Amino acid sequence: MNAAEVVNALLVQRFGVALADVTDETPLRTLRIDSLALEELRVLIEDQLDIDLEEVPLTPRDTVGRLVAAVNGMVPA
Amino acid sequence: MTARRQPFSAAVTGLGMVTAAGVGAKATWHAVTQETSPGGVAHQEELADLPCDFMYTADLDTTELLGVATQRLMDRFSQLAVVAAREAIADAGLDTDTWDGSRVAVVIGSAHGGVTFYDQQHVAMAARGARRVSPKLAPLTVVNSAASSVCMDLGARGPSLAVATACSSGTVALGTAHQLLRAGVCDIAIAGGAESPISRLLIASACQMKAVSTRRENPAAACRPFDAGRDGFVVGEGAGLLVLERPEHAAARRAPVRAHVRGYGASSDAYAAVAPDPDGNGIERALRSAMADAGVQAGDIGHVNAHGTSTVVNDLIEATMLQRVIGDHALVTSTKAMTGHTLGAAGGIEAALTVLALEEQLVPPTANLEVPDPQIPVEIVRQEARPAAFDCAVKTSLGFGGHNAALVLTR
Repeated sequence: MNAAEVVNALLVQRFGVALADVTDETPLRTLRIDSLALEELRVLIEDQLDIDLEEVPLTPRDTVGRLVAAVNGMVPA
Repeated sequence: MTARRQPFSAAVTGLGMVTAAGVGAKATWHAVTQETSPGGVAHQEELADLPCDFMYTADLDTTELLGVATQRLMDRFSQLAVVAAREAIADAGLDTDTWDGSRVAVVIGSAHGGVTFYDQQHVAMAARGARRVSPKLAPLTVVNSAASSVCMDLGARGPSLAVATACSSGTVALGTAHQLLRAGVCDIAIAGGAESPISRLLIASACQMKAVSTRRENPAAACRPFDAGRDGFVVGEGAGLLVLERPEHAAARRAPVRAHVRGYGASSDAYAAVAPDPDGNGIERALRSAMADAGVQAGDIGHVNAHGTSTVVNDLIEATMLQRVIGDHALVTSTKAMTGHTLGAAGGIEAALTVLALEEQLVPPTANLEVPDPQIPVEIVRQEARPAAFDCAVKTSLGFGGHNAALVLTR
C-alpha cells in the first residue's frame, strides 16, 4: 500500500470516516480528526509503515493531502 | 446525632442493562428468573494459564451498535454504559431532542474504569517502547469516562460524575443520584454502574489474592453464592443504569413509575483494605441508615438482592447481618451466578433487577445454589423464581476498602 492508501484505510477503519468524504483538499478537522485523533493517527501510521513522524508538524487544519505528503517524505523510495 | 428528614422517593422510570445474562433489561431479567445455569461464562484466551482463566462476558457487537467514530473514544466499560443508557432513556420515554439537558445528571460507578486499555497499552510500552503508546490512555481509562461518554452521547448537561468505591460503586452512584435529586440540583438522573474488567493483569492479581474461584473444570458452576461448596467470586462485565426522576417531574410528564428509590445509606468499615469487618458492623450501619432514610421497618422488607459474591467470608458475614437487622422473613437472593461479579457495575445491575422483582412480584433464584451452607441463617431463594407479595426491597453492596452501601426500593 502506498501512503495515501494507508492513510485512507486508517481514516475509514479506525476513525469511522466515510471514504467519499476524503479528498486531498479535505482539512482533517472536517473529518472529525481533532488534535487527539491526529496524534493517534500519527502513531498508527508510524507503526504500520515503520517510520518516524515525531518531528513533522501537523495540525487538524492540515489537509489529507498535506498529511500524505508528509508521510511520503518519510517513506524510503 | 442523627439528622432525620422526610423520606424522598425518587421515581424509577427507566432501566437499561447489558450483562452476561442478556443484552437489555428484558433479556437479563428473563435469564435471571427462568434459566438455572449461566450461559455467559467461559474460558478467555486473555486469561490462559491463570488459576482462574474464565469470566462472564456480555455478547454484543459494540461497533455495530455505536459505530467506529463514537466507539474509538471509549474503553469497553464506557461502551457498555452508553448502550445501557440509550436503553434506559428509551424505556423512560425521554426525548433527548426536547428535554432540558441542563437538568439531567449522570452518575456512574466503576471500580477499575478502562483497565483493559491500560493493560493493553502497558504491554505495548513494555514490548515496543514509549513511542508506540496511544495518546488516548487518560481519556479512555479514567473512571469518569463512562459518565462523560453517556453525557456526550445523550446531550446530558447537568452535573455528572463517577463514583469509585470498588464493588459498591454502582449502589453508591444510585444513592448519590438520589441525593442530587432530593437536593433539587437536577430533575432527572441517569445512574448505576459499568465495568469491563477484561485484563490479564487484573485477574492475575485477583488470583494471587486467592479471592476468585478456581473451578476451571466447570466455569458455569464456579460462582455459587451461599452454597457450601463456594470458593470465590467470578469476575464479569456489564452495565446497569436506572433513570431516576424527581417524583413531580415524572408525574408532570405522566411517565409510568416502575418503582421508587426511597432510602440510601452508606458507611465505611475503617477496618481493612480487602476483608470486610468480620462482624458485618459496617454493612449493618449502611443498611440501618438506608432503612431510617426511607422510614421503613424490618418487617416491611420482603426481599433482599444481596451482594452475595460467592466468597466464603462475604456470604456468611452478609447473611448473618441480614438476619440480625431484618430477621428471617425476607426472601434473599444473589443474582451473581447469572451475571458474574461485575464489580462497580454490580449495584446498578442488581438495583435494576430489584426494580423488576418489585414490579413482577417475583424473586429470582440464586443459581448454582445446590447445597445451602448450613451456617447461612436467612432464606435464600433457589432452584426456581418465587412469586411473593412485597412492597419494599433492599439492595446491599460491600466494596474493597470497606465501602458499604444499601438502597431501599419500594413499589
